[in-house]
Amino acid sequence: MEDLLEKAIAEASSKGAKYVEARYHRNTYFTLRARNGNLIDSAEEIAEGISVRVLVDGALGFASTNRLDSESVLETARRAVETARSLSRFMKKPLELGPGRVGHVSYSVSVKKSFDSVPIDEKISLFNELWRRSREAVKEASVKVMFNEYEESAEEKIIMTSEGAYVRSFIPRVYLGYNMVIAHPQKGVVQRWQEHGGSGGYELVESWRLPDVVSSEAGVLERALLEGKTPPSDPLDVIVGSEIVGLIAHESAGHPSEADRILGREAAQAGLSFIKKGMKGFRIGNENATVVDDPTIPGSYGFFLYDDEGVAARPKYLYREGVVYEHLHNRFTAAEYNTESNGSARAMNYASEPIVRMSNTYVTPGDYSLEELIEDVKLGVYIKSYMEWNIDDERWSQRYVGLEAYLIENGEIKGFVRNPVLEITTKAFYSSIVAKSRDLRFYTGTCGKGEPSQGVPVWFGGPDVKLSKVKLGLAPG
Amino acid sequence: MSASELAGKFVEKALEKGFSDAAISIDIVERVMVKFANTQPSVVQEWKTAVANIYLSKGRRVFTGTFQLDKIGDADKLLGEVGLLIDRLSESELYAPLPEPGVRSGFYSRVDDKIVEAMKDPSELVELVLEASSREHNIDFTAGKIDLWKRMRHLATSTGAQLVEESTGVETYMRSFKEDGSGQWGFASRILDKRGIEEVALKASELAYESRGRSSVEPGVYDVILSPLVFSQLMNVIAWMSTGLSVLTGMSIFIDKKIGDQVASPLLSIYDAPRDDKLPFSTVFDDEAVATFDKPIVEKGLLKNILHNTKTALKFNTKSTGNAGWVHPRPWNLVIEGGGFKLEELISEVKRGLLITNNWYTRLQNYAEGVFSTIGRDAIFLIESGRIVKPVERLRIADKLPRLLSNIEGLSRETYDVMWWEVRVPTRSPYALIRNINITKHFA
Repeated sequence: MEDLLEKAIAEASSKGAKYVEARYHRNTYFTLRARNGNLIDSAEEIAEGISVRVLVDGALGFASTNRLDSESVLETARRAVETARSLSRFMKKPLELGPGRVGHVSYSVSVKKSFDSVPIDEKISLFNELWRRSREAVKEASVKVMFNEYEESAEEKIIMTSEGAYVRSFIPRVYLGYNMVIAHPQKGVVQRWQEHGGSGGYELVESWRLPDVVSSEAGVLERALLEGKTPPSDPLDVIVGSEIVGLIAHESAGHPSEADRILGREAAQAGLSFIKKGMKGFRIGNENATVVDDPTIPGSYGFFLYDDEGVAARPKYLYREGVVYEHLHNRFTAAEYNTESNGSARAMNYASEPIVRMSNTYVTPGDYSLEELIEDVKLGVYIKSYMEWNIDDERWSQRYVGLEAYLIENGEIKGFVRNPVLEITTKAFYSSIVAKSRDLRFYTGTCGKGEPSQGVPVWFGGPDVKLSKVKLGLAPG
Repeated sequence: MSASELAGKFVEKALEKGFSDAAISIDIVERVMVKFANTQPSVVQEWKTAVANIYLSKGRRVFTGTFQLDKIGDADKLLGEVGLLIDRLSESELYAPLPEPGVRSGFYSRVDDKIVEAMKDPSELVELVLEASSREHNIDFTAGKIDLWKRMRHLATSTGAQLVEESTGVETYMRSFKEDGSGQWGFASRILDKRGIEEVALKASELAYESRGRSSVEPGVYDVILSPLVFSQLMNVIAWMSTGLSVLTGMSIFIDKKIGDQVASPLLSIYDAPRDDKLPFSTVFDDEAVATFDKPIVEKGLLKNILHNTKTALKFNTKSTGNAGWVHPRPWNLVIEGGGFKLEELISEVKRGLLITNNWYTRLQNYAEGVFSTIGRDAIFLIESGRIVKPVERLRIADKLPRLLSNIEGLSRETYDVMWWEVRVPTRSPYALIRNINITKHFA
């Protein structure tokens, strides 16, 4: 395969490309889907091909093919150059490539329990167990529907550039998502969509202990449905659970720190950023507001050691003790910032251009236990999980609607509250954190960005955090 | 071997190997996309791909796959591997035999040569949108895309269908910025409609210009007029909720509804329109070779159809609506019937309300009850006493979809063919006046 990539680089260079990046990219997926414990279907996908990205006269061209013969790959290289050149006359500000520490390396993620070593009927029987355990846990209401999706995948890449990068990688991943609808004739419906994922083998599925998790969640959510009361309307202390804190880190620290977004490259799609060029050092919160993006966390869903421009990846402080600290860069945004890439370029598959992406983004933990966060709250709400959320296209105004949520009175949990709404600006959130638990937990997601839209695996995480004097809303009934 | 021959051979071999049902759709796609940012191309992307999607079943067990053509070429090996896998699966609770084809053979063409030509060199279109963006207003910058494609689809099924459909399409959207104002518009078509493409740029810049000098407005209950972009996006959500699999998996407000139930204002009619050849996802046949046909999802406020393939149809004791997806049925194009108003007349109906021209990030607290929110972006205008009075800052619609559908009180006569990043099913939509919608914003 390397010889094909070398030919592509040579061909594009000979046609006048100043920079060429050729990538062989093979994604395989095996999926099982089930409804109410019964299998719906099995699916297999192999997406394998080569892409060539070139910088020609200040314009960027990208072409890809899934025909892996020499002539198709050479034609792909030529097309990338020709289209970039034809549009270069529109470039008022030609693109430039910044520095990046490119690698010459191979790496892979090892698997403790291979997917093939687990009989398929064992995987299918998990669906039935989840369905059975959820129904057993719900007494007065009923589990109306459960939908499951299980996916094992592997991503193999070879990245070569005209500047000598060579990165070969192999990353297996596994994912399981479920949708659970619990209904009661008078009280209505509560719904939980939850995902688990990581890089590794089937040992991860076993470590998630999903039957116990689902059983516990089903029972608790039934009670939230039956017993949940309207949250207080006056400002109060709010304990935001790590699941939501992680999402907030992703949405209101990770996305606005993407340098391509700041520079306007995603303006017509996912939008801009409240962070503008030159705002490094801007105070966004108090000393508790530290957010990190780290692709090197072993076992994580967003794991990689080199990005798709062949640049070494590393942890980045996006916000550090309350100030905007470092953005996520690829080599093109690094040039605009007169800095070097920090290895944040990712492509979903062979047909996708590498763009600036997050990996595993989290709020750093503190020193308290959850119980200690709660014990001095006179009147407050603890929001442990969510379903609905969104954030505006500059990543400033955001909304999270609680699913499992509790009233706190005089330091004790006093029953459920239903659908509390945390609707808050980025600055208000990061300025209101008065304490953080020491428990750093991660959650799984697929982050969407780009055109065509690319979904890439990520983790987001954080501790439980306490916000002081925050007003909550109520979702429409 | 041609793609059609390859498809036919694959199905033949699958039957020989003991599979009870087999279907294959070979998709050969050429696509060019110019993406813009800061009033210049940020990247031009080209794809040439050939992919085979296959469907196999045996003993009521179901397998689907997506592979490159060389894997299909070695059919014995692939079918052997799938055979070993499928024998170890349990039966699908949704299994149904592939139906008799509604369309058995034929070559259907919906190709505009002008699109094929523009794919070779899109620079004329690039020039058109960049020039039009600043023609009438001196904007700060613009962004967006021009997306052109040609697709050849070869379908063969074990029920005897052998079909080919070729088609072209274009999708363009632009977002322009002027000071604190911004505007966005989108368009899609089967043919190279330069006027439609140009209007996207003109409209985006006009909205950016008109929405400068935004002020804040208090949350509360407002009458809202939703632009075709916003209404399309929400009706995309509704259309996906109307598929059989969404209903079966709890991802739908129609989970407890019956055909004929009142689910919306009598003013609302939404059609799945695969035979509307102006919209770019039109098709003659679905993945099961069932002939497609236009049908109401909601007509005069009544739920008229759940969208089915043969599998979900069997579960609902009805017939396929020609919307396969072998496993997940899907809408093709959407057409929302217009009403009797001009936009100005809709505005004049509003005492205090909002005209929202774009939205994004629609998410639901639960699908069965349709509790949702979505964020307005770009130009939003406050309406008082029947007149637009000023542009306002971003707001959130946070309400329930059933209530939103029921409170529709007026639709514009003029409709727009819309598609953009947040509207993935091409949709012809009017402006919609909806009464008493809950509007929120951040507390702090």
